Amino acid sequence: MLRIPCPHCGPRDEAEFSYRGDATVTRPGPEDGIEAFHGYLYERRNPRGWQVEWWQHGAGCRAFLKVLRHTVTHEIRAVATATEALEVPEA
Amino acid sequence: MSAPEPTHPLAAVATPGRHGAAGDAPLRVTLPRRDLVQVMARRGREEALARAMQDTFGMAPPAAGRSATGRDASAVWIQPGAWMLTAPRGAEGALAARAAAAFAGLAAVEDQSHGRTTIIVSGPAARAVLARGCRIDLHPRAFGPGRAAGTQIAHVSCLVHQVDDAPSFELTVFSTLAEPFFHWLLEAGASHGVVIA
Repeated sequence: MLRIPCPHCGPRDEAEFSYRGDATVTRPGPEDGIEAFHGYLYERRNPRGWQVEWWQHGAGCRAFLKVLRHTVTHEIRAVATATEALEVPEA
Repeated sequence: MSAPEPTHPLAAVATPGRHGAAGDAPLRVTLPRRDLVQVMARRGREEALARAMQDTFGMAPPAAGRSATGRDASAVWIQPGAWMLTAPRGAEGALAARAAAAFAGLAAVEDQSHGRTTIIVSGPAARAVLARGCRIDLHPRAFGPGRAAGTQIAHVSCLVHQVDDAPSFELTVFSTLAEPFFHWLLEAGASHGVVIA
């Protein structure tokens, strides 16, 4: 069970959140072509290490949050609101 | 033909009297009739909304995780830029109409009075009973009067609002889930005893 420190509500259990995928993916522009949209929809990095992900606090403040989580250890190092930027560390 | 009298969502299950064990510190349950109005600030109008709430209801919008009490209504923070106004049940839609007039152009106002039901649990047993289904820490060092949290209790989305040191908690749930939630509450409180007013 993860414990995610929501910037609005404080630390809450994972059960209150929904995972919403990789937060580093950006939607291509309307003229970027089918290949760009294929990549946007299907191609994921699936890293072994740090990843910035979307989590929605659906049972709490309903906000979409960016969470920096380690995909092996599940350590959560930083949580930010949707408009803030989170850098992925090197190691 | 007039509209039927609204029935309390828990009328069929909340039988007044004592349920569960006999003890000297039972959980006290009351079912207040409340008006509930959701207020969501329009982008960039938060400061004007705060002034309007101060002028009309005599309170500033509470910060995250808190509640505020005004002249004749209270506000509970529910999400960034949104609050739930509560007041004792008055004329149908009156609180929502008042809020809509006061916050015109500043916030979206939605009457939730029928969609949500408030249950008040009170007494020294309240924390122990809620801990059986609530994941957040309600210990005095982490929570207290004037604090509020949206969370799940027994898998039902619930707005928890502590109103005093008794301690008393106002639990606001969807009316359609109030009955199963209430069954859980009776089960969770059975070992302490539950007194329904």
